[in-house]
Amino acid sequence: MFRLMRNTHLILGLVFFFFAFIFAASSLRIIYRPWLPEDRQNQEQTIQIDAAKATSPRALALELMRNHDLSGDLRQVNESDGVMKFRIARPGTNAAVEYVPGSSEVKINTQRWGWQEMLVQLHVNHGFHHDFLPASAWALLSLLGSIALLLMGAIGIYLWFCLNEDRLIGSVLLVFGLVYGLTSLIWSRMV
Amino acid sequence: MFYKWSKKIHMWSGLLTFTAFVVWGITGINAVFLPAPGEYKPPEVSRTQEFPFEGPGNLDDKELAKRVYEAAELKMAGGHYNVHRDDDQNLAFNVFTSNGPWNVTYLESEKRVRVEFRDGGLAGFLSSMHTAHTRRGAPDISARLYGVYNEFATWAFLFMSLSGVYMWIATRPGLPWARICIGATTIVTVILWWAVR
Repeated sequence: MFRLMRNTHLILGLVFFFFAFIFAASSLRIIYRPWLPEDRQNQEQTIQIDAAKATSPRALALELMRNHDLSGDLRQVNESDGVMKFRIARPGTNAAVEYVPGSSEVKINTQRWGWQEMLVQLHVNHGFHHDFLPASAWALLSLLGSIALLLMGAIGIYLWFCLNEDRLIGSVLLVFGLVYGLTSLIWSRMV
Repeated sequence: MFYKWSKKIHMWSGLLTFTAFVVWGITGINAVFLPAPGEYKPPEVSRTQEFPFEGPGNLDDKELAKRVYEAAELKMAGGHYNVHRDDDQNLAFNVFTSNGPWNVTYLESEKRVRVEFRDGGLAGFLSSMHTAHTRRGAPDISARLYGVYNEFATWAFLFMSLSGVYMWIATRPGLPWARICIGATTIVTVILWWAVR
């Protein structure tokens, strides 16, 4: 049993190593964000399109995705004052699109974050509602990684207990962590 | 010696931060079921209370909202947002707390403040608390204490991820299935990164 648990702990740890690293590194990026330089590039461009392919925001978005290298989820569709606006977003990249129906020009303002902020956006990417398939794939990885985290925690405690090493200090740390963590959580919930 | 201490600290870190890992795990699973952007619906009002308040007549809406917010003394509050006038022209704003949002309305003609609490549920609470750290979260002492623990757990998590791989390489690097696991996860991660980037 011990051998099985040890191997399971190792397998889960290796399979979800990058997931764990991404979540830990992105959390630290969030915590220390005020001290770190902002890493974002803005690019504005105007491109030519066939107005017949831009009959609706969705049609225009699909045209931009198929033929103009944009990809992501279609968000924040807004049609007012004769202007069509929407965003095409994926973790790390957000393109704001403006188009006057009937014209042949589309304005695109693309924000592209560096790798650190992209880790953060992968961290908060969730759910399977995305039109952009890789975002849903990351969400699946997050779900499986979360389940693995719970399993690894439980298995880790089992391994420590079976190892018969550091029983006293381990017990103190486990109890302290549980009491401290749960007390502050329950206290926060009760106020 | 280095391996021995890596193993010890790996184990001790895990034991000490187990509670945070459980919170993160539950939050990650719950996140799958959160609504898509733009589809969020606030929970039902679960509690309403009122208290007398008379604001000075020489304040603008933003300043008055700040006074009302301070007078309400809401626990676990992380600030007030969306100061606006409701349909009856009463000054209203929202307060975010780890336990759920509050809608605050200053009934100026009645000289009363009405606060409506919408309980976000246990999952919402854990999701909110999992973001706490030493400089983020409600100013309440309980939230600050958890923030310290959560930030420590983040460092511990990074250490355990790296030390876990080190311990594998130091003890059983030749295991075929371990090599397959790390190889497969490397390929999947690179492909997904490239696809998103």
